[in-house]
Amino acid sequence: LVLSGMYIFQIDRYSMEWGLRVQLQCKNLHEYLKELSPEILDRLYNHPATCLAVYRELPALAKNYVMRMLFLDQPLPQAAVALWVKKDSQRDHDECVSVLSGLRLWHSQQLQGGLQGYILNPVFKDNLRIALLGGGRAWADEGSTLGPDRHARDIESLDRYAMERWEVILHFMVGSPSAAVSQDLAQLLIQAGLMRSEPGEAPCITSAGFQFLLLDTASQLWYFTLQYLNTVQSRGMDLVEILSFLFQLSFSTLGRDYSVEGMSESLLIFLQHLREFGLVFQRKRKSRRYYPTRLAITLAAGVTTNSSSSSNMSITPGTGDTGFIVVETNYRIYAYTNSELQIALVALFSEMLYRFPNVVVAQVTRESVQQAIANGITAQQIIHFLRTRAHPVMLKQTPVLPPTITDQIRLWELERDRLQFTEGVLYNQFLSQADFEVLRDRAQGLGCLVWQNVAHRVMVVTPQGHSEVKRFWKRQKSHT
Amino acid sequence: MASEDEFNLLAIVVDVNPIWWGQQAQREPEFTLSKCLDAVMVMGNSHMAMTRTNKLAIIASHCQDSHFLYPCKTWKGGEGSGDDASSSGDGKYELLSVANNLIAEEIRNVMSKTEVRGHSTDTLLAGSLAKALCYIHRVTKELEAGQEMKSRILVIKAADDCALQYMNFMNVIFAAQKQNILIDACVLDSDSGLLQQACDITGGLYLKIPQKVALAQYLLWVFLPDSDQRSQLVLPPPAHVDYRAACFCHRNLIEIGYVCSVCLSIFCNFSPICTTCETAFKIQLPQMVKSKKKKLKPST
Repeated sequence: LVLSGMYIFQIDRYSMEWGLRVQLQCKNLHEYLKELSPEILDRLYNHPATCLAVYRELPALAKNYVMRMLFLDQPLPQAAVALWVKKDSQRDHDECVSVLSGLRLWHSQQLQGGLQGYILNPVFKDNLRIALLGGGRAWADEGSTLGPDRHARDIESLDRYAMERWEVILHFMVGSPSAAVSQDLAQLLIQAGLMRSEPGEAPCITSAGFQFLLLDTASQLWYFTLQYLNTVQSRGMDLVEILSFLFQLSFSTLGRDYSVEGMSESLLIFLQHLREFGLVFQRKRKSRRYYPTRLAITLAAGVTTNSSSSSNMSITPGTGDTGFIVVETNYRIYAYTNSELQIALVALFSEMLYRFPNVVVAQVTRESVQQAIANGITAQQIIHFLRTRAHPVMLKQTPVLPPTITDQIRLWELERDRLQFTEGVLYNQFLSQADFEVLRDRAQGLGCLVWQNVAHRVMVVTPQGHSEVKRFWKRQKSHT
Repeated sequence: MASEDEFNLLAIVVDVNPIWWGQQAQREPEFTLSKCLDAVMVMGNSHMAMTRTNKLAIIASHCQDSHFLYPCKTWKGGEGSGDDASSSGDGKYELLSVANNLIAEEIRNVMSKTEVRGHSTDTLLAGSLAKALCYIHRVTKELEAGQEMKSRILVIKAADDCALQYMNFMNVIFAAQKQNILIDACVLDSDSGLLQQACDITGGLYLKIPQKVALAQYLLWVFLPDSDQRSQLVLPPPAHVDYRAACFCHRNLIEIGYVCSVCLSIFCNFSPICTTCETAFKIQLPQMVKSKKKKLKPST
């Protein structure tokens, strides 16, 4: 049946045309793994390090489930598992069950009595047991087989090295002339959408790039690694191999050397990339040993996205200038730094007042914040930036930032947010008021009516509800 | 998901009373001290594997003193250069294998060096608990601004209670309660009134395990979840608590006794002068109280 006398318009994504508000999405490890195919997941669990990393990312309750079943060889009845939690946390239980099944960490299995039971993925179980208690093969050849390193590095120099490498990338992004990176890395930055390059010109930073700069080091690193992982397969590398190595790195000991013995060709290329990001230290390209830096070790810790915390600093002391900003209630910012990069970052959302050898003074104003917001930076990002880089003196007070400042920055953002976009499907040109009312009431009943105008007989329905409303309308037509 | 700000410190106090464990080895050769320590290490590893911010301390409670098994003095801190490449290379997470080797070495030291002198054969549990509290306090003070730490103590108790330690024990319990530190108890042998009280007062779990061989599974099942997750999980119901106090004169557990009206010391039989606060009681005998009262009435 044809929908007679009625046209349906698809109201397209206005938001895409209206503004450049592209939010930087930083997935956490769990979300990333969920999108991998089951075969890759199953292969990933062949390494103890990945098992441990995946285990750490689980919700707290699910971790306990895994621990309870880790040393059991028989499947447990599902009904028994459901009784582990109290009645009022049933929802948490359901979430855990879906997470564990989604990551293929446990399977349903028929018990002897015909009941459904759960059993842990045997590969995952074995490898997690190995990670916890040993009894397997070594993760990698130990550095000790090489004998002591004559050019051994201490932790401080490793920290310094990692920080320098990482800052070079950030400097490159803001276009400092002194910073030069390899072609590969520049390409990666462009692919990640952090930079944009016109043919014949040097790449320049995008609004996503600005948002990236405001993240803390751990989140930056994780975002960057995700982007790298997306390109891994196009480079002809094995994703599972790369991920396993990455997790292995993140569980290694700072200040110890590891040998490159037994690494495949693609892994060695990957190591060279990591060396450029500052995740590992290798004295020479041909060197037989490498040292993981603090950046590599915090990689798995930076995985959690809700990093409203100050702990990132405690985990990464020495990486990046942490703890140098004082914010006063009179909208003044004192940044005790002489790093061009950090000053440039502060200047993204504030007006510079004075500049001294060790400190810059800036003022947060309505114009400066709105300018930043127009560039795609959100108020939340500005506040997060200030909080994670707050001076130790500021950290002693709660809340860390004066509430007047945070509130005002949010209000300034709201001033721009006066339009809200909702996708929808427009129904118009109804032949009779009765037709309109029937369809409108149906849409209202389904909870998918966005907007209606009785006088003009038009209504807008959400895209999810559209098919249902359309079907109803067809049925309605055929009846009459 | 647990926020990264939060540190979780688990202090495990293991009763390594040599006399009890010696008898145990004869009673049940399949469950010895080394088996028990294996279970403790499994528990510790599982705790540390849960999140990066989880911390662990293990204290051995001997009959004369208590020793830190982990972290100990020879431990160079988490980032010291691994001087002897202590990972055994069998696929275990390096941090865990370093910790386990240290624990094994320390317990060997403790058991071989300390010899039992004198007549006291009771485990110094109160002292070990106090040590655990001190350690927790120190770690708390070392935290940076804006960080929080939740700590709990797990006692793995083997030998019988010692009424002599009643006072010290109660002081430790109240200190823990004040600091919001949970005390959990996993009892291997006979029920312990003191630990029942400790768990009840601090809100911890008390469990007397029916099968010693399955210690590791009990630990993982019941004591691994932290206080947040415990509110969601169904766990063993609280045990009946033996609230009897020990008298200050003979350290016997008593149900009815005499209490000093000044300092609240408990005695099993009447004495005219309180031994704790040296208050002299004017009343001769309890029977005289009635006549005293009558005499006092006109004056008040």
